[in-house]
Amino acid sequence: MERAPVRAPLIKHLALKVGLLLTLTAVLAVGLLVYVLYARGAFEPTQTVILLADDAEGVSTGMPVTFSGFPIGRVKRLELQDDGHVRIHVAIPEKDARWLRTSSQFVLERGLVGGAKIRAYSAILNDPPLPDGAERTLLSGDATQDVSQILARVKAILANVEAMTAAQSPINETLQNARTITGRMAGEYGVLEGVLGGPDKARRVVDALDRANALLASLQGVSLKVDQTLTRADARLFGAGGVMDQTERAMSQVNAILTDVRASLLKADAILKEAQGAAANVNSITADVKGATTDLALLRAEVDDSITKVNHLINEINRKWPFKRDVELKLP
Amino acid sequence: MQALIQFLTRVGEAALGWLAAWGRILTFGAHALIEAATPSAYNSAMRSVVMKQIYFTAWQILPGFLVFAALLSYVIIQIVVATARDFGLSEFALEMSIRVLVLELLPLLTALFVALRSGAAINTEVALMHINNELAALQASGVDPMRFEFTPRVIGGAVSVYSLTLLSCVLASVLAYVAVYGLQPWALGEFRHVIAKIFTPVALIALTLKSLAFGLAVTVIPMRAGLEAPRMLFFAPIAVLRGMVRLFFVLMLIEVASLSLVYL
Repeated sequence: MERAPVRAPLIKHLALKVGLLLTLTAVLAVGLLVYVLYARGAFEPTQTVILLADDAEGVSTGMPVTFSGFPIGRVKRLELQDDGHVRIHVAIPEKDARWLRTSSQFVLERGLVGGAKIRAYSAILNDPPLPDGAERTLLSGDATQDVSQILARVKAILANVEAMTAAQSPINETLQNARTITGRMAGEYGVLEGVLGGPDKARRVVDALDRANALLASLQGVSLKVDQTLTRADARLFGAGGVMDQTERAMSQVNAILTDVRASLLKADAILKEAQGAAANVNSITADVKGATTDLALLRAEVDDSITKVNHLINEINRKWPFKRDVELKLP
Repeated sequence: MQALIQFLTRVGEAALGWLAAWGRILTFGAHALIEAATPSAYNSAMRSVVMKQIYFTAWQILPGFLVFAALLSYVIIQIVVATARDFGLSEFALEMSIRVLVLELLPLLTALFVALRSGAAINTEVALMHINNELAALQASGVDPMRFEFTPRVIGGAVSVYSLTLLSCVLASVLAYVAVYGLQPWALGEFRHVIAKIFTPVALIALTLKSLAFGLAVTVIPMRAGLEAPRMLFFAPIAVLRGMVRLFFVLMLIEVASLSLVYL
């Protein structure tokens, strides 16, 4: 069967429509390419920061580096060094490089959900800017890594808190005591009662204070009287014809007496010299006496001996004398 | 024993036939590409066929297709954004929706759209021309059907698929921006970083190659299937059926290959 030849229907403005479509496609394709290149930072000068990390897990090329939540750079390249450490090359557009200072810290954060994030922290924005190609250590802030340790610590802390809040815990007892003290403080004698432990003692302190006050008042009277006495004594001592005048006169008389005494002493000295001569004679007498005394000691020893013997005899007689003891008859 | 030998022979023949068919498709496609790369092939007659192919494949369906793509994109973006918000992952919503739509879903949908509409039409047309000996007649009169019938359709089809893909992707990106940030320009900086993260050089090249591969498959496979029909009219539907099944298979193969290329 022959197919009837089909003429393509005449299409109005075919070339225009196709041209329009093709131009639109080309513009969009080029625009998309340019936008992607722009987005990837192909048209802006960048500087490099090299981050050194022990472990680059979760870090991938193209990953953003954020500062205060805003992406300021992108991971450009990762390389594993011979020593097993990782060098992460980060490209930072120059207009964003001002956020990075020499004191900036870089932290790799791995959350429980979502990918890893590299965050930059600049505490002091007045520090000098980070130079191109600077090397920094990438600190690790792994949320999952420390969970077990944190849990262990939290458990210990909770146990402590439990011990602290238990009924018999020292803190509770302290609080109890504090309550007792403050309760007393609210009484008649206030803080005194709280410190001393009861109204009686506080009252005694108050009484003592009152008495001390009375004492002070009487002391004042006493001191007034003392003042008067002192004035009078002053007049008596230093006034004309007073004690001091008489003393002065007495002193001159004493001086005269002392002169007489010195003369008497000289006479006494002469007498003493004579006495010394007499004393030499006395010494020889004393030696004779010593010899006599030795004889006396012998005599005494003999007397002692005799007495001992007599004593012994008496004892013997006492023992042999049957009626000496038990002179009383004891009747049954 | 004899039965086994017969069975093995049949299996071998089937496999050889299957391989030969794919080999013929590849040869046909390569031939068309070589022809397309030959500058002298582009004369006015050929350009006219290319323009008509683009007109029928892309221009005619453009409004409907864009509305369809916009609606589908918007619904998917809203679902992704809402789900991401529920899970507390809003920061990934934009990236997720653009990845799903622009890199994967819209190119495949465009290819399927064009395959169902123009691929089937081309398959039928070529099968009928083949059955009616029109191609042989052209060849006899000195007109190379490869140059004046097939190559322009391949070019037109590929350009159309690429154009439609690009338009729908740009539309989806704009819609994603509006859906996530609203109609205001203050989030362009953030959007820029998301785009920079998604469109790595590998992703961009993979997207372009995938789109071109879809465009080639959508025209080459139906045409070759049409040419393989025996010269009997009732074989035309069978040729179309075979062509469309093969096309679907190849489109999925390209999609899987591009996915594994980018994500593995």
